[in-house]
Amino acid sequence: MVNLTLKFVAFARGSGLRISTSEVLDCLNHLALVDVLDQEQFAMTLRTNFVKTYRDQPAFDRLFRLFFHELRDADTSKHAGTLNGHIEEALAAMQQQMQPGGLPQPIRDFLLDDPLGYLQALQAGRAEQMGPGQALGGNMGGLVNRLAIMLALDNARSAMARYLSENRNSIPWEIREDLNAYFTARLRNARDLLFENQPAVGAGVQTRISQDQRLNQLSGKAFQALTPKEMQELREVIRKLAAKLKDTLNRRNAKRSRGMLDFKKTVRRSAQYYGLPMEVVYKKRIPHKSKLVVLCDVSGSVWSAARFMLNMLYSLQECFTKVRSFIFVSDLTEITAIFERYEADTAMDKVLSEADIDYQAATNYGRMLRLFQDQYLETLNKKTTVIIIGDARSNYQDPEEGILKEIREKSRRLIWLNPETKQFWYSGDSEAATYQPYCHEFRLCQNLDQLHDFIKELVL
Amino acid sequence: MKAMLRPIENNEGTRCCKFEGVADVGAKLQRAGYICSKEIATVVYLAMVTQKPILVEGPAGVGKTELAKAVANSLNRRMIRLQCYEGLDEAKALYEWEYGKQLLYTQIVKDKINEVIKDAATLTEALDRIAGEEDAFFSERFIQPRPLLQALYSEEPVVLLIDEVDKADPEFEAFLLEILSDFQISIPELGTRKAVEIPFVVLTSNNYRDISDALKRRCIHLYIDYPDQDLELKIVQLKYPEISRQLALQVVDAVRHIRKLDIKKKPSISETLDWAHSLVALQVKDLSPETMADTLNMIVKYKADMDLIRRQAGHLLK
Ligand SMILES: Nc1ncnc2c1ncn2[C@@H]1O[C@H](COP(=O)(O)OP(=O)(O)OP(=O)(O)O)[C@@H](O)[C@H]1O
Ligand SMILES: [Mg+2]
Repeated sequence: MVNLTLKFVAFARGSGLRISTSEVLDCLNHLALVDVLDQEQFAMTLRTNFVKTYRDQPAFDRLFRLFFHELRDADTSKHAGTLNGHIEEALAAMQQQMQPGGLPQPIRDFLLDDPLGYLQALQAGRAEQMGPGQALGGNMGGLVNRLAIMLALDNARSAMARYLSENRNSIPWEIREDLNAYFTARLRNARDLLFENQPAVGAGVQTRISQDQRLNQLSGKAFQALTPKEMQELREVIRKLAAKLKDTLNRRNAKRSRGMLDFKKTVRRSAQYYGLPMEVVYKKRIPHKSKLVVLCDVSGSVWSAARFMLNMLYSLQECFTKVRSFIFVSDLTEITAIFERYEADTAMDKVLSEADIDYQAATNYGRMLRLFQDQYLETLNKKTTVIIIGDARSNYQDPEEGILKEIREKSRRLIWLNPETKQFWYSGDSEAATYQPYCHEFRLCQNLDQLHDFIKELVL
Repeated sequence: MKAMLRPIENNEGTRCCKFEGVADVGAKLQRAGYICSKEIATVVYLAMVTQKPILVEGPAGVGKTELAKAVANSLNRRMIRLQCYEGLDEAKALYEWEYGKQLLYTQIVKDKINEVIKDAATLTEALDRIAGEEDAFFSERFIQPRPLLQALYSEEPVVLLIDEVDKADPEFEAFLLEILSDFQISIPELGTRKAVEIPFVVLTSNNYRDISDALKRRCIHLYIDYPDQDLELKIVQLKYPEISRQLALQVVDAVRHIRKLDIKKKPSISETLDWAHSLVALQVKDLSPETMADTLNMIVKYKADMDLIRRQAGHLLK
């Protein structure tokens, strides 16, 4: 039972269900407490330990049925008992016959009563059908799609028939009958599984596989290469990442602010009451929130990176005391109000249509810095983090790095995010080399992974 | 099996404080007025034996809260309930330190304190003496226990229901995790306190927000769905024994059909029960489309849903 359960765990994990080791151990302990011969009790003991949200339940139920029922119908296992040595022998011979490549390992294991590899190959094949992307692992022995699996099964069937007829004289009649029945049943099983009409409940696991893969692809893809549809998907991802960050932050703060008495304050207040500590003051959590000032280059290719950063920052607004945002090409415009009024996605569209800015103008970082210096330099203080996102391409005009130096001195941190590929940073009209020495950090920010890393450091 | 070997059967008169097996859970819960599937019984049994909390999910009104009550009832335990909501904090959930009371006591015993330190030679000695009496200043006396601490302090094992945990803030969840991990809690003024008896813990969630993975790993999981026909019929008959089998079947089937429609709020077990109740009160013998239309407000709350069902009333009663 332990072995079988562990095999199931491997299979379920391979199919996209997340099961932790502690959950496996718990489950094994629990199996000793129930009647494992009772189908429902057994199934429920696995489910209560391995599925922790209703969303995964249909997927689990399907995997469970697949693994424990469709593969283990009574007559196959009955045969297996008396045939032990003969099955291996037959498989070895079939392996020889089926050239080139032989009998694929997953099918061989399947015929020998270990369905794991085969089921994984099926899952991978299904994920494959749902869209492009890597199928699970590379060790499927060439079983990359349904057609290949079907052909392999057919080959196995004829190899088996040939083996039985060639050994008509060396294997006793009853054994041959049983072998035939055994392999026919197993192969039928395999075929049924392959052609099984995908019931809706199976969708959970598969979409999860392809979603995870999808996410990996998307979060590593350069912002400017995203299609509109991918951008839409990425917004959803950002929403989730932001929620997760907030959760982490909250949990951390909760730990920190555990009901400590603020002794000094309590004593000070007690002075009003003849020295009696009538008002008890607790230590507040240390809010290490900072003020953000964000300057976004919205010319051409930089905008796609800037918009995702704005999206993420405003989804995390509560983590900062204030976020002020500006966009520039040659002029500089504050867009804070738009983000405060609308929810991030809507705001983003409004910025493009409503903000007062000339998108056709030639980008001019020096002018932008001068404008900032005139109007906003005063607002910076030692609690402000200034973030500039842009490619630092300023059309060979005065870069005004002196102002950047002033900004650095007046703020807590100055961080520059450059969405341009690193090889190009120091060429042509890029002022990256000029600006870099004045920034506390000057980092690459081309895709969601990099953006997420940056923002994590910023808030946590 | 074990239950059969026991010399004396637990009957309703005697106190029982344990489930003897999965089947026993089912039987005892039924006696407490709760009909459950074998799946539910299995999880409840495991939770009892392993002392792990159960995290119950499921649509509204399928009996999540009721399950905890029934477990308490059938184990003869007190149920302590912590209803979660946004902003729930430790002071409301665990304990409140009663400074007012403490101050008052200190004032009253001032003379006594003076007596204690009267002949102390030095300030240090005076302080030492007061420190010797520290237990009097910082004692359970000044603690107002809230549900979680009540559950830990209880001499008799209790059922602790933490209802709608998804409504509480994530900070609170983190704190809950600490308690549920080792059933002990450190109180700054008093030190660490361990549970006298480990409570049977039920957490419920309506998926308002996702629970953290860490908390989920701590719990075993139970999803209660709408019951199948047989189970729901049994529930109706248990609560309203006077209902005819035919009417009960009609009610249950109609409700099951309605759940399949694309409506805003699906009727739950409590709605089925309300409906059955009113039909019994109206002395209805047979559910006709007309009676159904007249009493529909018992099962659906939204007007749009009502209109949709009226249009289908004929089909629903086949
Ligand atoms: N299995 C059952 N046996 C008997 N009665 C039940 C059962 N399930 C539900 N009920 C009845 O349904 C009513 C609603 O159940 P309960 O309040 O526990 O639902 P809930 O799942 O906690 O809902 P919510 O999510 O709204 O809190 C109960 O009062 C009870 O009478
Ligand atoms: Mg409830």
